[in-house]
Amino acid sequence: MTVNVGDAIPTFTRATGFANWNRYAAVNDEFVPIHMDDEAGAAAGNGGAFGMGNLQWAYLHNMLRDWMGPNGEILSIEVQFRSPNVKGQTVTAHGVVTAVEGDVVTLDVWTEQQEGTKLAPGSAKVRLAK
Amino acid sequence: MTESYLTEVVLQAAGRECSRATSYPIEASDIRKWALASYWPEQPPQHFIDAEVAPEDFDPFAWGPAHYESLLPDDDGSVIVRHGINERALGFPDWKFRAGLNGGMNCTYGMRMHVGDVITDTKSCGEYTERQGRNGLMLITQSISTWTNQNGEVVKRTINSGIRF
Repeated sequence: MTVNVGDAIPTFTRATGFANWNRYAAVNDEFVPIHMDDEAGAAAGNGGAFGMGNLQWAYLHNMLRDWMGPNGEILSIEVQFRSPNVKGQTVTAHGVVTAVEGDVVTLDVWTEQQEGTKLAPGSAKVRLAK
Repeated sequence: MTESYLTEVVLQAAGRECSRATSYPIEASDIRKWALASYWPEQPPQHFIDAEVAPEDFDPFAWGPAHYESLLPDDDGSVIVRHGINERALGFPDWKFRAGLNGGMNCTYGMRMHVGDVITDTKSCGEYTERQGRNGLMLITQSISTWTNQNGEVVKRTINSGIRF
């Protein structure tokens, strides 16, 4: 795979809500009131229940893996959760290449909702399969 | 109204090892279910369905550790803190917050996880800071998790940031 600075990698998109959050909560034992109950979500300042940051994290990993294929490696990744994933949003994970050193690629990564508001910005470093 | 969360006890805790947990052996269905949930509603890659390897973000501690011990002198380990550290055992105040949020994560990966692996999670206290925000004074916390497998190989090191107000 030829990779250049500035390349945008294929995105990963999901319509989100309780259907996704509950399934993820079931595997991650993440039955936290703010992710299940509108009153708890509102008390946290977000108007209602909202999705877990760990699922945004998973989407970013999914995006990177789908792009690299099974023999690529995620070396590191960091994100900040800046804006909540509230009900009814379509979330898309994005990545743009910022550096290439041999088979190691650095990217800006982020998730955003359908209107372009970034939910979880960050960066990642991967090693592409030879 | 809290003027500051950053007492001397809080500031001096940075770097202290707090707990060690060991997972049950990873099973194929754990990997499969994790992948199905995180890729839902579409199917995950076949190698996750076949559990050839676990996704990097997979958590073998999701439904509790097989074994947990506190590394703090005044903590008998009866309270298992899955995400974070036992702040009361560090002597922190008994804070009352309206909410706690996941502030972010920073992770460096090593060896991949496979069926049969037993993972050890050693948690340390990171740095605590505070800042004013739209919800008032917010406590920003870090806990550091280092995972190793049964061979002593590093699986990943994660800095988890939390926000409470």
